[in-house]
Amino acid sequence: MTKENLIEKLMNEPQPLPRKVPDYMRQKGGIWYWTGAMIMIAFFYEVMTGVILFFYYQPSNAYISTENTLHIPYGTVIMTTHLYGAYIMIALVYIHLLRNLFVGSYKKPRQVQWLTGIVLMILTVAISYFGYSMTGDVLSADATDVGRGIANGFPVIGSYLSTIFLGNGSDISLFSRLEGWHIILAGSILILFAVHFFLAEYNTIMPSAKETGFKVPAIDKEEPSYKAWYPYNLLYMVQIAFFTIALIFIIPSLLTILPNVPALFSPLPQVAASSPLASSVPPYPPWFLLFVYKELDFQVSTSLGPFWAVVLFTGLPLAYLFAVPYFEKKDTLKITKRNIVVSTGVVGLIYLFGLSAWGALDPGIPVSNITGLLFFIIPLAVVIPLIYYLANRIELGKSSLGENAWKVYAILPILGFISILTGISVYSVIVYPTFYNYTAMIILLVILGLTSLATFALVYGVNFKTPTKKLTDKGHLVFGSIYAFLAIAIIAIISVMSPTQITSQGLYGVGMALLFTLAGAFVKLYRSHAFKE
Amino acid sequence: MSVPTRDEIKDKDRRNFMKLLGVMIIGAGVAGTLRSVVQNIIPPIEGGASSFPILTLYLPNGNPVSTDDLIVNNPQTVTFNFPLENEPNFLLRLGDSNNKDVEINPTEVRIPANNTKYKVPGGVGPYKSVVAASAICQHLGCIPPEIHFNPPSSSSFPGKIHCDCHGSTYDPYSGFGVVTGPTQAPLPSVVLSYDEKSDSYSATLLVGPTIYGHSSDLTGGSNITPSGKTTVTTTQ
Repeated sequence: MTKENLIEKLMNEPQPLPRKVPDYMRQKGGIWYWTGAMIMIAFFYEVMTGVILFFYYQPSNAYISTENTLHIPYGTVIMTTHLYGAYIMIALVYIHLLRNLFVGSYKKPRQVQWLTGIVLMILTVAISYFGYSMTGDVLSADATDVGRGIANGFPVIGSYLSTIFLGNGSDISLFSRLEGWHIILAGSILILFAVHFFLAEYNTIMPSAKETGFKVPAIDKEEPSYKAWYPYNLLYMVQIAFFTIALIFIIPSLLTILPNVPALFSPLPQVAASSPLASSVPPYPPWFLLFVYKELDFQVSTSLGPFWAVVLFTGLPLAYLFAVPYFEKKDTLKITKRNIVVSTGVVGLIYLFGLSAWGALDPGIPVSNITGLLFFIIPLAVVIPLIYYLANRIELGKSSLGENAWKVYAILPILGFISILTGISVYSVIVYPTFYNYTAMIILLVILGLTSLATFALVYGVNFKTPTKKLTDKGHLVFGSIYAFLAIAIIAIISVMSPTQITSQGLYGVGMALLFTLAGAFVKLYRSHAFKE
Repeated sequence: MSVPTRDEIKDKDRRNFMKLLGVMIIGAGVAGTLRSVVQNIIPPIEGGASSFPILTLYLPNGNPVSTDDLIVNNPQTVTFNFPLENEPNFLLRLGDSNNKDVEINPTEVRIPANNTKYKVPGGVGPYKSVVAASAICQHLGCIPPEIHFNPPSSSSFPGKIHCDCHGSTYDPYSGFGVVTGPTQAPLPSVVLSYDEKSDSYSATLLVGPTIYGHSSDLTGGSNITPSGKTTVTTTQ
């Protein structure tokens, strides 16, 4: 019998859509099965706000039309949440990727799903780059300059690529193209997302390790006890959606109200590129590209040129991610038996965090080959033996990690990152013993201590679980009434605020975030009341 | 069919009450969202004036600009906003290479973009040498210091207004017409009036193409306050 290929299988055995899922995916800790759903919600939020922003964006007048949007009723709310919705979407993409890397869901039968996921990540970063550059402010000018430098370095067709993506040099051509690519990429993400989603339905959501006994292929077999999609899963999705949107609202709205937000995190456009004040703004790329930015400062990058440096420093990790499902084919999902993938994942995270922080603190300062090499070698030399040692202990039953294993692996990169920061801070205290540096060092040492303690507690199997009390029937009604009272009060307060003042728009955004939080909390309450979930 | 028990009726009432609360909370969120979206997509009435205001030019120290305050062939850039806050204009007192005032005659200026012509009044002031025009380049909207006046004594583009962004050049001595591209339109001229008694200058009207980046000269910005005066600024 010949083996059917994926397309034949998809076409000839249509799958039920949407699939029913087991109850534990909607209970405490079940959120890890829905990181993809959260990305989808953020993406749809981006599409909706993006379409509204197109009413006012003029490529011929990019900077002024962007600035004017802030003074159109609720324009600040829509524009800042569009920016931060993208930031949150990218953060969620990274989280989704790492979660799936560590639990091993790239394995059979989900290889193609994993590949589409990596492509979706590249598209998401690309669309964010184009969107970020559309404002026409000084940061956008810096970003397009760096982009031109990288594109021009492409052998033979570099100058064509540069003009295809970033225009022929005039402003109108640049901003029309940024706008065009921004939409084209949104469409591409939508199409590829549909494929990714359909594959997820086809392969089923990967069940918990308890169900599969760590055996590949991990497929969820539908059982009669599974509850109907409507209303159980739908309401759960609505709950996640409300909380995700609340998160998208709260961060930029608070940053809009706060004074002196650094350029890297400011939700508002910076000064125009032609303004005399432009030189006072540090030339930052968006935070999710800070690591590329620092890589370009390395001595080896300077001699290679920007294009080959990007190929080396981002192409290699991407090629590795594409290859993961094809070289790591053991039929076990145990995290302790996948040391190569796990340790490279942890080291990669340390590089990512470390380079980003470095780029933010020391933008544009060249790094010698030796320093660069040390930066790459030290985490590698520390983490790989550590992971092997940990895995070995767990396997021999000397550590009762069990359920907590993935938490340990998740906390390790954070620990590494904080160690790097603390190291830098101790060094700066030795070189410049100022009050500010001492304060920073003490705070970082405390954080390092706490994180080490948490890691230690996880490794030696301390249980953090606290008993939860069930609400009574009347308790539900009381809490529901309190939520409703708060919601009515908030909508009453924010409805009288000026829709064009930037700070009052920030407050409106905070109010909306609270409303969405209340809505999410209410759906949770309702599920507990009606379904006892 | 069985008769529902008291407990079942109570349960149903409680469930309905919860649903009502849900409608209120989620309704508040939806109302807040809809309100902001609808109010946002209503096109704003652009700030602006219904007709050209007459604005007298003032120095930053509060005195009206007199002829002696203007330097012939000033290498520094002197601008004032007119008719709206975000529409800067050059204020030039033109002279020859010996810095003697030159009388600027009324002229006809051609717009290369559509090959039409319009009339530009000549210079004003005691020597008929003071002229003004939009300081926003008609090519892609660069503003001073990128676009600037080169005095007749300078080595490159003497006596011309040159934009460093893409090289557009305009001739202030003949109605700010186009000398070299890439621009396809002259700078819109400000019609100035001069009051001999008080030795003061006022901006009254714009002639020529529309100011770059605006749908009309009187929209797309806010009015200058207080009304009746505009202040000149001097930059390097």
